[in-house]
Parts: sequence; C-alpha cells; structure tokens
Amino acid sequence: MTTLLGPLGSALNKRGLTLAMALALVVLVAAPLATILVQTLYPSSAAWGDVLASRLSQNLFWRPTINTMIIGLGVAAGCVLLGGFLAWLVVMTDIPGRPAIAFMATLPFMIPSFATALAWGTVFRNGRVGGGGGLLEGLGFSVPDWLSWGMTPTIVVLIAHYYALAFTVIAAALATVNGDLVEAAQMTGASRKRILFGIVLPVVTPAIIAGGSLAFAGAVSNFAAPALLGLPVRMQTLSTRLFGMIEIGQTERGYVLAILLIGISAIFLGLGNRMLSGRRSFATIGGKGAKPRRFALGNARLPLTLVAWVICILTTILPILLLVAASLAPSSLSLFSDWTLHYWIGDADPAFARGQPGIFHNPQLLSALTTTLILGASVALAANIIGILIAVALTRQKVPVLSNLVSQLSFLPMLLPGIAFAAAYIALYGAPIGPLPALYGTKLLLALALTAAMLPFAVQTGRATVSQISDDIDEAARMTGAGFFRRLGAITLPLAARGLAAGLLITFVNVIGDLAITILLYTPTSPLLAVLSYSYASDGFHQFANAVTLVILIISMLATGAATLLRGRRRQSFT
Amino acid sequence: MISLDKITKSFGASNAVSDVSFSVPEGSFLVLLGPSGCGKSTMLRMLAGLDQPTSGKMQFGDTLVADGEAGLSLPPADRNAGLVFQSYALWPHMTVAGNIEWPLKVAKLPTEARRARVMDAMEMLGIEKLANRYPGEISGGQQQRVALARMIAPRPKVMLFDEPLSNLDATLRVEMRFELLKVHAATRATAVYVTHDQVEAMTMATHVAVMNNGRIEQFDAPDRLLAEPASAFVAGFVGTPAANLIPIENGKWFGTMPDPLLRDQFGYAMVRAEQITLADEEGPRIFDAVLAEVVPMAGRFLVTGIVNGIRITAVSDHVARPSGKLRFRLPSAPAAIFNKQGTRIS
Repeated sequence: MTTLLGPLGSALNKRGLTLAMALALVVLVAAPLATILVQTLYPSSAAWGDVLASRLSQNLFWRPTINTMIIGLGVAAGCVLLGGFLAWLVVMTDIPGRPAIAFMATLPFMIPSFATALAWGTVFRNGRVGGGGGLLEGLGFSVPDWLSWGMTPTIVVLIAHYYALAFTVIAAALATVNGDLVEAAQMTGASRKRILFGIVLPVVTPAIIAGGSLAFAGAVSNFAAPALLGLPVRMQTLSTRLFGMIEIGQTERGYVLAILLIGISAIFLGLGNRMLSGRRSFATIGGKGAKPRRFALGNARLPLTLVAWVICILTTILPILLLVAASLAPSSLSLFSDWTLHYWIGDADPAFARGQPGIFHNPQLLSALTTTLILGASVALAANIIGILIAVALTRQKVPVLSNLVSQLSFLPMLLPGIAFAAAYIALYGAPIGPLPALYGTKLLLALALTAAMLPFAVQTGRATVSQISDDIDEAARMTGAGFFRRLGAITLPLAARGLAAGLLITFVNVIGDLAITILLYTPTSPLLAVLSYSYASDGFHQFANAVTLVILIISMLATGAATLLRGRRRQSFT
Repeated sequence: MISLDKITKSFGASNAVSDVSFSVPEGSFLVLLGPSGCGKSTMLRMLAGLDQPTSGKMQFGDTLVADGEAGLSLPPADRNAGLVFQSYALWPHMTVAGNIEWPLKVAKLPTEARRARVMDAMEMLGIEKLANRYPGEISGGQQQRVALARMIAPRPKVMLFDEPLSNLDATLRVEMRFELLKVHAATRATAVYVTHDQVEAMTMATHVAVMNNGRIEQFDAPDRLLAEPASAFVAGFVGTPAANLIPIENGKWFGTMPDPLLRDQFGYAMVRAEQITLADEEGPRIFDAVLAEVVPMAGRFLVTGIVNGIRITAVSDHVARPSGKLRFRLPSAPAAIFNKQGTRIS
C-alpha cells in the first residue's frame, strides 16, 4: 500500500498541487481569453474591421471609447482628490473622530454601484425619459439634463463608489511617511511647505498613482452606472456597447469590444505600474517609529470636520436612506409622503403600479433570492477553496515557471473588466466542446465565471492566512511524518479558519453585488437579485428596483458585519 | 556645553521624565542608559526640540534652548543639532547623496559648498560608491552609515543618537561603534546617545546617565558606575557580567547564613563575580548551588548557579564539576550594601 502510494504521494508533495492549480487556472482564466482572441481573428470574421474601420465604427467604438476615457480619467482624478483629502485628514491632522472617518471612508466600496446610481436617480432624475422626476423636481426645481443623465451623474456616482480604494491606498502610504521621515526633515529646519512638497508628496506619489489607476480601471469597466444613468439618453460606453452587442446577437463585435476594453484597462494599469517601477520601491525601513505628529488644523478644524463627515454621509448613509424612502413612496416626486409597503408586500392591483405586485409577491424575486444566495455561497466556497490551495501551492512548493504562471494567472482576472470576462466565457463555453454540452444559459457557466473573477481576492486572502502560519509550524508537522493532505487538514486549515471564513463572506458580498458578469450570463428563467433590480429599473419600476437593491444591501451588510466580527478588531488602522 | 536644570516632561498625569539635572562639557560623549520605558528617548526628543519640557531649563552653551515654565522651545533647526533615528528615517525617494544634501539645501548652502560637504561626509563613512543608490537598495549597515553622514554634513555642534545600532547584527554593531567614535573624534561635537545596551555605554561614553522610571539613578563616568554604583539598580544593570545582588536579612546571606560583616543589615549585598570563588568543601561563607551554565570568556569561565531561585555568577579558571552541583565561596566583605529600596548604605 505504502509502496504503491509512496511515489505518487511524494510527487504530489513536490509539485502536484501546483500542476493541478495551473490546469484549473488555464481552464478558468486563460482559455476563455484565448478563445475570444481566436474567434475574432478568423479570416472569415469581419468583426475587427466593422468595429474599428467602417461606417459603424464611429458609433460602435470611437464614441463609446471617448466616453469611457472621459469617465475613467474623471473618476480617477476625483477619487485621488477625494480619497487623498480624507486620507490626509485622517492620517496627518488632528481632526476629531479619525477612526470613525477612516471606517466610513472604506464603506462605499461595499455598496454596489447600481445602488448609488439608483439613489442618484431618486434625487436628480427629471421626467425626460419617462418614469417621473425625482425629489428635486418634486420640490419645484427644474433639473437640467446634464445633471439627470449621462456623463456628469455617471462620474459622480462612480467617484462616490471608488474613492474608498484611493483612500485606503493613500492613507496606508501616508501612515508610513508620518513620524520619523517628517521629523528627520523638521530637524533640518525645513518649512512645512517644503516638507510637504519635498518629502511627503514624493513618498506618497506611488500610492497616488496606484490609487488613481485602480479607480480608472474600475470606472472604465463599470457597467451599472453608465447603464442606469447613461443608456436612457443613449450615452454609450465600451461596457454598455459590449452588453448591447451580445444582447442583440452580434457576439463577434461584442468580443472585439471586450478585447479593446481589456486593452484600455490594461494599458492604464500598465502605465501606472511602469511609473511605479521606474521609481524605487519606497518600502520604508522598519524600526519602532515615532508617534505620528499631527498637523494642528486650528480654525479650519470645524469646517474641515464638517466637510469630511458630509462626504462620508453623502456616499454611505444617504444613498441607503434615499433608497428606503424611494421604495416606500408611490410618487417619485415626493419621497417622504404617502408611504406604502405596496412595493414590498402588496398584491397585484391593476390600479397601482401598472398591476405589478410587491416584490415579495413576485415569484421571480423569491427564486432570484434563493438563486442569488445559493450562487453566492457556492462561488464563495469554490473560489476560496481554490484560493487557499493556490496560496499553499505558491508558498510551500516552488516549481520553476509553473509557480510563476499560477501566480500571474490567478491575479489576471483583477485586471479584466467583468463584462469583458463574461463575454469571453460565452465565447468559450457557449458552444459545445467535444462531448461536453454548451453551458450558455446555465447556472454552471455563471458560477464558473464568477469563481474565476473572484480568484484574485480569494488567493490574496488565502496567502494572508497561509503566511500567518509560519513554515516552522508546517515543518514541525512534517517532522512527525504527516503527509501533505494530512498537514493541510490538521494544521493549515484549522489555523486559517477564521481568516478563511471572513474571506468567504467578503467573496459572497462581492458576488451578490455583481452586475457586470451576471448581466451577460444570467439564466432568464431564474435571474439574480442584481439583474432583477436592473431590469425593474430599466422598465421604469423604480420603487421595485430600489426595494430589490435594499434586499441586496441588507444581505451584504449582514455578511460584512459578520466578516468584521470574525476578523476581530484587526481592521486596518491608520490613526 | 549641554546643561539641564530640573527638566520634567509629563504626559497627562504621569511623568515620562522627572526632575532631571546634569551638565556635560563640550566634546563629551554622553550616554543615556536604561531599560525601555525609562524616559531616555523622551529626553533625547526634548534635546532635539521635537518635544517640549513641561518644566525646567535646557541650555546648549550659552543659548537657552528650552524653558518649560516660559513655554520657550527653540525649533530643531535653530539648535545646531543633528539626530540619527533608530529607524534611520532615510527619505526613500532620494538617493544616498540626495539624502545627505537635502538638509544642506534647506540651510541654503551654495552648490559648491554642498557638493564638498556631501563628499566629505560620504568619505568619512566610506560610502562614496553608494552615492547614486536609493535607500531601498542598500543593506542595513550601509543605511546606518548614510544616516550618520546625513547627520554630520551640516556640522552640528550637538549630535543626537536614538538607539542607532539596535537594528544591526552583532558584528556590524561592533564595527559601527568604532565608526561612531571616529566621527565623534573628527567632529569634536558633543554627542548624546540613547541605548539600553550597557556594553555600548561602557565602551563609548565619557559620561553615562543611568535612567530608571524617568529619573537619573546615577550620573558618572563609566568606570565609576562599575566601581561605585549608587543604587542596586545600577549595580544590577552595568558590567559584564553584572554584579551579583544577594538578598540579606537581619545580617544573614540569603536570610540563612549569618555573617558578622553584614552588621544586622536588611537589603542586598553586591558581590562582584570576580569576588566569588568555587569551593570544594564545606566551610564558612560557602553555599551549595545548582549549576545553570558555564560561559567561556577570554580564557576564563563565567560559572552561574542557582540558589533559592537567584542566579549567582562567579569567574573561575576551571570548568565546574559536571555533576550539576556547585559550591560558591563568598568574599569576606561585599563590595557594597543596598537597603530594600535599593539605596546604597555602605
């Protein structure tokens, strides 16, 4: 028995896991991407020409691209300004309530961007595209189109969603410069201004670039905000265009747009990276570090505190409150009167809301709820199991080339816009492969795509948990003669349990809030909550859309809260 | 050169530094020595001008640099002082030469003078070849040299060091101790050096202030700390090995061995390791111990045994018997006696 298993076991111990993970990643990540490239490059395919150089290309590609770029750059700039400002306040100044502000500033990322977009509509919508105006029109203001629809609201909503990213990155960098580095500059007698421009800003620049390019990549690939706020006035971005192409069956053009979208996002992430690697790594050198010195705000303290809180509340609590009110008010013009629970629990009534029953009487909602929960749970489980296996493979087994491949491929989905990734899945698994049936329109395809998309996060969580378990601990178990899987089950997993559980919950939250992947891959017979909310909204049933979005938000908040509890008080602190 | 008069620093209700006074002449090398949390780093930060004393006066030469009662505190740059941080605090976005040059730029030195000073400083520390490298690309020992060069380039009259060697390995530490002394000798500036390592204090200092709980336990030359420790704390903190502090009660060693020499005292008797010998037989002032460890040192052996839970160390020419049993013979008189509170009484 042992002689039989011996060689196999030891081969598995050496590189089997890495090999298995490399195969899984090829199937999940590399193959779909290769497929869209190959399919659009068949000589018979005219898709590239159609998209880039034909009468159609103006509408198909160039205009959406310009819109996408404007949104990306605008959002990146806004996020850096807003996130950087809050980071500076929290890390460098004596503003009161720093931990609370730091916590609030990381929350917007937990709220799906379609929730913020819907909340924008409740206030600024005008009657131009039907469905009634919003709160401002109800108060008697006439809201101009540019404020209701299109570019401006899209950019504002996306800034409100992504500035949390820039905040986190910049605050972490500022925290390293504060203390000794600034004091060393003070010893020379340099003025405050000189310290800011000579020391603080240059050290933080890489973080600013990183935060900006992350926000850019997020904004150009976002689907929900431009779809909800731009499509009604025919503002197209690459992601909405791509969605439209696939929806009307022009899949090859869709694939070309997907490749171009990946390209744009990759170019900017690459540029950011290049600027970073051109400079030296600014890892500050360890040491006990002095207590951070706080810049006294003096007279500006009160106004700046107010500004900070207004930003935090406008981007977290207020959108949620608006959605609550808007899901209860029959008239979108007056959000705070005649509240009714009809949109939640009412029966179908021809006199009310064109006969639509409340969401809890909509059989689709109940099926969407269960589908979403089951899908979220299984994707979270699958992604995190693969994530921890990859993390173990990467930290415990060093196989030349293969380890590098695994590491790169598992990070790749991070750089891929969700909607383009979904298009790639349709391209590969939409048609039968040999004996395997076509997966298009099945939940399995959706689950596979979401699993692959969540991998970068799951691997990161896995690595964090695995790295907490030192090599020594594993080696101590090895000395007793325990095999690889025995050690994984008896040592690694029990120690990693808490971190893994938190990782599972966060993945779950990301899955149920996703619209970019699910909008292309959902099964019409049992849609998901996010898709349901989107289709309610695009049909003009805003109250219902808001109510469904709130259901998603409540589930997300419960899961996020549980994750925070599990992680204990280990949350990042910059203060 | 540096004189302190009743310096106190409080954080809220607690005092980090209480009532510290001393003065050292120009060109001296003062070491603030003590365990972590004793207030030595707070002292250094007040000398640098990064913190202000709550009360008391501080003078550099004839200049009053801080006066707690008057709320006066000269900013760091006006004190003509340089500080080497424990973390080195090198600016990661500037090259080695850039790091050294920046303070000179702030001081508005002309380009030519700056270049000469940067070269001088780099030569003194042997890091000319690293001029265009970034801090992230050089080793810990090299970073330490850059931090030193950056501190001396503006030619400060007072050099401050915050545990600068604590992040280096043992060999580098010995090497850098020598470098530091070389720099001190070459610049003739007054140095204040914070450490918890008594070996650094003993090898480098002209003056040592042993601190504990925010107070100075003893301010003296290194050899005087060894010869005449002012308190049990000092006796147990300095020296390699540190002196033995044997509890005495009612004139009895360990409370059990009466000795007329102890004159009915209570407290601790200080007995140096070289005063204790190994014995073969029973007799007066001889007691049994369990062997704990034998450390070979400079051709002799430090033999440590445990009696009643107390470690006793003796210097011996021979290795102890391997049986695990030891017999120590006490000298006819302890080097000093401290009372229960640790104050020296004879």
